[in-house]
Amino acid sequence: MDNNMNNYELNIGHFYPDLLNLYGDRGNVLALYRRASLRGIKVNIKSISIGDELNPDEIDLCFIGGGQDNEQNILKNDFVNVKGPIIKKMIEDNKVFLCICGGYQMLGKYYLEHDGSKLECLGALDLYTVGADIRFINDTVYEYEGKKVVGFENHSGRTYLEKDKNPDLKPFMKVIKGHGNNGDDGEEGAVYKNTFCTYSHGSFLPKNPFITDMLISKALKNKYGEDFVLPELSSSVEDFAREKALKYLEI
Amino acid sequence: MLPSFFGILLARITRKTLRLMGKGATTLPGKLAIKVSPDVISKVAKDKTIITVTGTNGKTTTSHMISEMLTSLGYEVVNNISGANLASGIATTLICDSSKNKDAIYVLETDEAAFAKIAGSLKPAISVVTNLFRDQLDRYGELTHTRDLIAGGIDKTNATLILNSNDSLVASLGKGRESRSVFFGMDKDSMLTNMSKQNSKTVLEASSDAVYCPTCQVKYEYKSRSFSHLGDFYCPSCGFRSPLDRFSVVYNLDKSPSDEGYPFEIKDNKNNSSEKLNLVIPGTHNLYNTCASVSAVTLLLEKLTVNDSFKKACESSSKVKPAFGRMEKINIDGKKLCILLVKNPAGLDRSLSFVTEASDASSVMFLLNSNIADGKDVSWIWDVDFESKADQLPKDIYVSGERFGDMLLRVTYAGKNIPEENYGDMSKAIDLVSKALSNCEEGKCVYILPNYTSMLKLRELLVNKYNIKDFWEK
Repeated sequence: MDNNMNNYELNIGHFYPDLLNLYGDRGNVLALYRRASLRGIKVNIKSISIGDELNPDEIDLCFIGGGQDNEQNILKNDFVNVKGPIIKKMIEDNKVFLCICGGYQMLGKYYLEHDGSKLECLGALDLYTVGADIRFINDTVYEYEGKKVVGFENHSGRTYLEKDKNPDLKPFMKVIKGHGNNGDDGEEGAVYKNTFCTYSHGSFLPKNPFITDMLISKALKNKYGEDFVLPELSSSVEDFAREKALKYLEI
Repeated sequence: MLPSFFGILLARITRKTLRLMGKGATTLPGKLAIKVSPDVISKVAKDKTIITVTGTNGKTTTSHMISEMLTSLGYEVVNNISGANLASGIATTLICDSSKNKDAIYVLETDEAAFAKIAGSLKPAISVVTNLFRDQLDRYGELTHTRDLIAGGIDKTNATLILNSNDSLVASLGKGRESRSVFFGMDKDSMLTNMSKQNSKTVLEASSDAVYCPTCQVKYEYKSRSFSHLGDFYCPSCGFRSPLDRFSVVYNLDKSPSDEGYPFEIKDNKNNSSEKLNLVIPGTHNLYNTCASVSAVTLLLEKLTVNDSFKKACESSSKVKPAFGRMEKINIDGKKLCILLVKNPAGLDRSLSFVTEASDASSVMFLLNSNIADGKDVSWIWDVDFESKADQLPKDIYVSGERFGDMLLRVTYAGKNIPEENYGDMSKAIDLVSKALSNCEEGKCVYILPNYTSMLKLRELLVNKYNIKDFWEK
């Protein structure tokens, strides 16, 4: 364990943990907490829910999970109208975000319901989601920078990136097994600047520690400068769990 | 569609044939009967006295308690077995196991979605709703949806409703149905006094359900809580609050409900009487299950105009024995083995608390599978607050099941180092149990926390290895 990191601090903003907490998404916050604090970094987790103040200077890494429809309706106004403009600016200012499922969809322009009604979303990213009859519920394997990533998807929305409108918007991963954004284009999630979005629950980060480290590293480089180097840390148990999951899925 | 007579006949023939082949035949006969005669349930349920028990957690334990209590009070009881709680299993029970005795009581554990479909046909005299926690959302969908399903079922009956007042979703089922709702829960003063005795230090709070009022979309405030979202809640906007209980549990956490014989009281607030009890099946959640059972039996006895109903119900609850996989302790060479089935985050949370409080815990073993009956998604293990309980778990920890890699990581992230010889897939499970038992001192207990299909597999392995004969059967 490296103790040189004692003077470093990582502030995680956990958005609406009382409402967006489906399918073990809190495991992502636990993963960030663990892999940063094992390196000696002081980690603070701040809950940011309805009515709570959002101060970008106090947060280095933002996490937004997915929620049930009922719960997402409750926070929609606070998210889009109250915190929305600040979140948009944070994204443009290169703040690090990880958004899962509902959190991902809400950053897009709109969600077109199955019955034709249109739910306006934040519009921070040039993407939109269309509701469908059949829900994608299955284990997933994706590829990110040559590495296999495991997860579980559970969504009826099909998400489409408007890459022609924004050349900086790219898919996060490539689908090896599962459906990804829409089941058609073999793409999964979205990346824009330092905002990473995915449909992957599972939880996403624990079994994919290189992504956990990538997010921590980006957040601390933002804060302490490009020279910042995240020390090495073993990921043997995480890698073992990922290998076992891949074996279970016969990949 | 054939008259129900044909369905009944078909079910009985199917049951006989399958039994000859050595099969349990707990669902197929009913399934076929419903197929040929869709109205068969209402025909066979007619004139029967039925109690249904529904809710995401505690259905099996509560219906088991009610059955044993009524049996000890001299009633003939017919019930469905755990796992046969869909329409098919209930139809099978009502057709193939029905009693000639007109006074028999039918205690039916009923799946939430199945309840919505068949409540109108069953016309139960009493419907118990234990609680609503997230439970394999990939199979059941959203909790508010489950609540609405149950409400739809209730409205097709005249049943007396026995509702958990501490669960906001369940308590809301009483709205507009006040005259037939009876509430049970933890005594509100007890909850308040005991709150300070609970350790709640953690890295990150567990994922919680139902913390917002669905009508006002405003966060509930709590005067006190027992655990998770159960407590004395109220909505600051519309004023909806945890209703006044008829039956409430007076308890004190100076002693541990994880120990057998834990002393507590149940109050009947309507008659201003109170009875002292000892907890037969340990665990804080079983205080709720016991209170729900006492409520149901009291109400039934009142309907049958029996004197001293409440007192008799309380007395009968001391005669209950645990059901398999629910806190039953098996003796193996002077050491104990206890299986705690965990199917969802609330169940795992309660079982973890239970093990941390148990004075006889030598080791704990987790088994995780992800077959269809378990839910394919193993994410739910991350919804549980392991972190706050990890320090108090026994040092000797084992992990197995088809998804042992996921569980190993979960336990590791909670700060536990598990040596390599303590984990492995299902093929290693029985060796790990042997190891845990050999490390266990005499009189101490190995606690095993499997999910559904890993429990089925484990009990098969235990029967073979330790020659334990069908100890889970009635």
